[in-house]
Amino acid sequence: MSGFFQTDLGIVILTLLKSLALIVPLLIGVAYLTLFERKVMGAMQLRKGPNIVGPFGLWQPFADALKMLFKETIIPTGSDRLLFMIAPMITFGLAVVAWAVIPVSNHWAIANINVGILYLFAISSLGVYGIIIAGWASNSKYAFLGALRSAAQMVSYEVSMGFIIVTVLVCVGSLNLNDIVMAQRHFWFAIPLFPLFVIFFISGLAETNRAPFDLAEGESEIVAGFFVEYSAMSFALFFLGEYANMILISAMTTTLFLGGWLSPIPFVPFTMIPGVFWFLLKVLMCLFVFVWVRATLPRLRYDQLMALGWKVFLPITLVYLVAVAGVMEYFGWLPNA
Amino acid sequence: MNRLGRMAWGLVLWEILSGMALTLKTFFGPKATINYPYEKNPTGPRFKGEHALRRYPNGEERCIACKLCEAVCPAQAITIEAEPRDDGSRRTTRYDIDMTKCIYCGLCEEACPVDAIVEGPNFEFAAETREELLYDKAKLLDNGDRWEPELAKRLELDAPYR
Amino acid sequence: MAKVTVDGIEVEIANGSTVLQAAEAAGVEIPRFCYHERLSVAGNCRMCLVEIEKMPPRPQASCALPVSDGMVVHTDTEMVRKARRGVMEFLLINHPLDCPICDQGGECDLQDEAVSYGRDDSRYDEGKRAVAQLDWGPLVKTTMTRCIHCTRCIRFSTEVAGVSELGATARGESMQVGTYIQKALSSELSGNIIDLCPVGALTSKPYAFTARPWELRKTDSVDVLDAVGTNIRVDARGAEVLRILPRMNDDVNEEWLGDKSRFAVDGLKRRRLDRPWVRENGKLRAASWEEAFAAIAGRMKAVTPDRLGAITGDQCDVESMLALKEFFAALGSQNLDCRQDGAVFDASRRSFYLFNTTIAGIEEADALLIIGSNPRHEAPVLNARIRKRWLAGGFAAALIGTAHDLTYPAEQIGVGPDAITALLDGTHAFSATLEAAKAPMIILGAGVLARPDGAAIHAAAWQLALKYNMLSAEWHGFNVLHHAAARTGALDIGFLPGEGGKATSQMLQDGVDVLWLQGADELDVAAIGAKTFVIYQGHHGDAGAARADVILPGSAYTEKDGTYVSTEGRVQSGFLAVKAPGDAREDWRIIRALSAYMGHALPYDSLQDMRAHLAATYPLFAPANAFRRFAGTDTAAPAGDVSAMSDAPFVPVFETYYQTDAVSRASPTMAACIAAHAPVVAEAAE
Repeated sequence: MSGFFQTDLGIVILTLLKSLALIVPLLIGVAYLTLFERKVMGAMQLRKGPNIVGPFGLWQPFADALKMLFKETIIPTGSDRLLFMIAPMITFGLAVVAWAVIPVSNHWAIANINVGILYLFAISSLGVYGIIIAGWASNSKYAFLGALRSAAQMVSYEVSMGFIIVTVLVCVGSLNLNDIVMAQRHFWFAIPLFPLFVIFFISGLAETNRAPFDLAEGESEIVAGFFVEYSAMSFALFFLGEYANMILISAMTTTLFLGGWLSPIPFVPFTMIPGVFWFLLKVLMCLFVFVWVRATLPRLRYDQLMALGWKVFLPITLVYLVAVAGVMEYFGWLPNA
Repeated sequence: MNRLGRMAWGLVLWEILSGMALTLKTFFGPKATINYPYEKNPTGPRFKGEHALRRYPNGEERCIACKLCEAVCPAQAITIEAEPRDDGSRRTTRYDIDMTKCIYCGLCEEACPVDAIVEGPNFEFAAETREELLYDKAKLLDNGDRWEPELAKRLELDAPYR
Repeated sequence: MAKVTVDGIEVEIANGSTVLQAAEAAGVEIPRFCYHERLSVAGNCRMCLVEIEKMPPRPQASCALPVSDGMVVHTDTEMVRKARRGVMEFLLINHPLDCPICDQGGECDLQDEAVSYGRDDSRYDEGKRAVAQLDWGPLVKTTMTRCIHCTRCIRFSTEVAGVSELGATARGESMQVGTYIQKALSSELSGNIIDLCPVGALTSKPYAFTARPWELRKTDSVDVLDAVGTNIRVDARGAEVLRILPRMNDDVNEEWLGDKSRFAVDGLKRRRLDRPWVRENGKLRAASWEEAFAAIAGRMKAVTPDRLGAITGDQCDVESMLALKEFFAALGSQNLDCRQDGAVFDASRRSFYLFNTTIAGIEEADALLIIGSNPRHEAPVLNARIRKRWLAGGFAAALIGTAHDLTYPAEQIGVGPDAITALLDGTHAFSATLEAAKAPMIILGAGVLARPDGAAIHAAAWQLALKYNMLSAEWHGFNVLHHAAARTGALDIGFLPGEGGKATSQMLQDGVDVLWLQGADELDVAAIGAKTFVIYQGHHGDAGAARADVILPGSAYTEKDGTYVSTEGRVQSGFLAVKAPGDAREDWRIIRALSAYMGHALPYDSLQDMRAHLAATYPLFAPANAFRRFAGTDTAAPAGDVSAMSDAPFVPVFETYYQTDAVSRASPTMAACIAAHAPVVAEAAE
């Protein structure tokens, strides 16, 4: 049997199976993340959140999905039909594709490639295309403004995210995500690189267009931003994409700073527990903070958003990168040196 | 110092953290949600809900078509037509309230000299079509018959303050 | 003249005026219930109390106190206010607080004054007086419990209406107003006591409980149910005219209105023509305007112009008659007549057919000869003016024709034209009276002109006027009293047979092939030739519509902007109060549309154009040409052979007052009036 999986066909089938095993829980996770968000936000706003559909509202995501499926897909008259339909697919597709390299446990990744972090970075940068295309194809002022805002915002924050990742790479000496996690065996990078961890998380919020950086949607000013013209399943794809991206950023944070699948308590009864559990627990914590922030903070003004990215995060990350590299060089801690 | 200090303080994110602490506290606190179809808020005797036309205990309708409610209605939601009934008394032949126009201010209730038109405790009268919200006299009298015990009680409770 | 100071405002007012009139002249409002400027002073409500300097220090009733020179009146002192509050409290002792079910609510004098002078609670714990409801017939609804004994209704019926039916029995709290024995009010002006009543004791029966004054849209208009040109206010709600009230005009109706004009409004909602009809195979079927026009055009083009004819009715406005006249002129027809009663007389000069003395001028006359008319039925408001003149004294009236109770003594000096002959000879006893009179006048009923010898009587009456010195530079005593509101206007625009044209009687009996009836219902429909194609343009399904081959639905007088000329030649306009029902349109627009359909488009598209055209063609309709009384300087007599008068006695034009036209015939209220008064008529006939 194991022989079969060495053949070309076997590898393809195995990969497909692996993908399936990842994508299905991911999608269910996305669905329940919406419920999770509504529940958490509700609790933080003195409410109960959805509690009518199923026990504790547990069937709510499926009700929503059904609703979306049965709605009419409206394509605006003035829109570019092809691009209009492609845009949500790009967004959703990229959000899923990025998951190929995330190790959920030791060597548990669909593709454990040596340039994993570079791949992640590249894919998440591509996400801006979906948004730009959507805003352009809609032929609507609101959508176009939202798309422009979103593009500028994602580009801005990717710069400081890049420096943070470089800093982590300096500490690890490898682009392989598995190696990055294993490098945190003794202590998580969140401890020595705490300011970078915080900045990375905040940039993640901005990268996924989440509150308080959700200016691309800005429902109170530009209605709903780039997907104002979308409805039904095309809208749902954007929605899924956004939430998948949230999970992805949480997974990246977990991988880069929180020790991935490693148990936080490094002795016996806890190390027996499978790494997947720890990984998911950490991701869930990150997601909770995502929602928590959204329930707490009001939206930034656009100039504040740009100022924060270029005038605060960029200098800090640059200085920190130089400082970390200098300290490592001085003490000779650089790996593989 | 001040400016630098403020910058440094800002880097600590104190305000943001204290705000998040507040939401976290609320997260674990008791919830205000009322599980609506199964639980309801209590309403006071002056609650202004669905309208009803009342009758006297002997079954005679109270409304005497004085049209004061029609005149006072700021939304002009009430339409009344009247003529002498066979026994010569002054009665409405038409008493319509457009519930889609009504702003539930309760002035009709206050203007009524005979406590005929009242706003009852019922607020669950949503309908599927607009037409169902154009109430006629039969519907209003039917409301009155249905809610009479509660309407009488409410008027009695509110009487000392009128 | 006396100088009086009211609240610091100095006014000069004729001696004998009352303090209340002085206050009114000074612009100071004094509350009153019993006082009315057109009625005698009663002084029994005591609401008009004022304080007067240098008089005994007590409040004085201003309505009954004559002014004296140098009087200083205060209407707003603490004493006055206290006195009025006291009076108000007394009035309210027995007044039921049933405003919510009272029709007067919102236009009630007592309500208004109670706001100023009433207490907010009552100190009176005893039971209130209750008075039985009285049945005063189908027009006036009584709730005598509300009566405050101002006696305005009693004084009106006695003084103005001239029927002493109302009176008060007992006194003090037990005083009751009533008819002594139960009966319906017999006056044609009985509706005015509803307006006079300051409270809700007397209200309109047909209008009972239907509306509140604040709901009504008020439109000024002119009454067309008689030819007096009474100024009215049309009160409407939505698309429905609910009531008609008189408007004040001292030159015409003072502030009175006849019962028919007031109460026939419910006829405006019944038997209406609200869509075109076309007769097919002997039966009328509902049609579109297009079909109706096609039917008319097809028929009209098929006959020669001299076989086309048009007759206008009694309620048409001048605009629609002019449009019809010009439309027929464009078609080339001369067969026009506005006298549907078949009258033929000389209408070449306005003074031949106007009420030249004018209604206000009646008060200057000192002798009156009525020929073949019953002004009480034909023009009750005008009749009230004659009675007012008679009340002032030094006035003699005589009547030739059927005897009536005219509410003032009028000696019946003959039943037919022979009495006129006798007067012309100077052999009649009344000749002396006329001879002695300084300002004698003749009223010639329009019904007389419809007789075969109408033109002769017309000329004879003119001779009478000449003989008895009724025509002079200061006085014109020759009057024709029309009963059709449209007639004077139609004569003014010359809606008469042109050169070689046919008059009404000639158009009937197959005199024309196509006959256009514009609201003409009072002609003998059976006399229309069987082969005549009849087009009826009007608003009620009455005699004319029943005979019609095509019906064009027009507008009643409340539904159009129309100009009317009253019997005294006064040009007045009414305004649109409500839209005509269904597909019905304004009459002149119908003719304008048809004229375009038939390729003879009339040169006006809007009401403004129409009015401008009317004023340009007939200058008397120009706004600048205000109403003028004629001087009797042009004494040229109308055509007519005096010797052609027959011996037949004059007969009344109307059998009854209440139903005389399409509107009142459709009115259930008027039918109820006829039923209520039928036994009385039967007794009189026996």
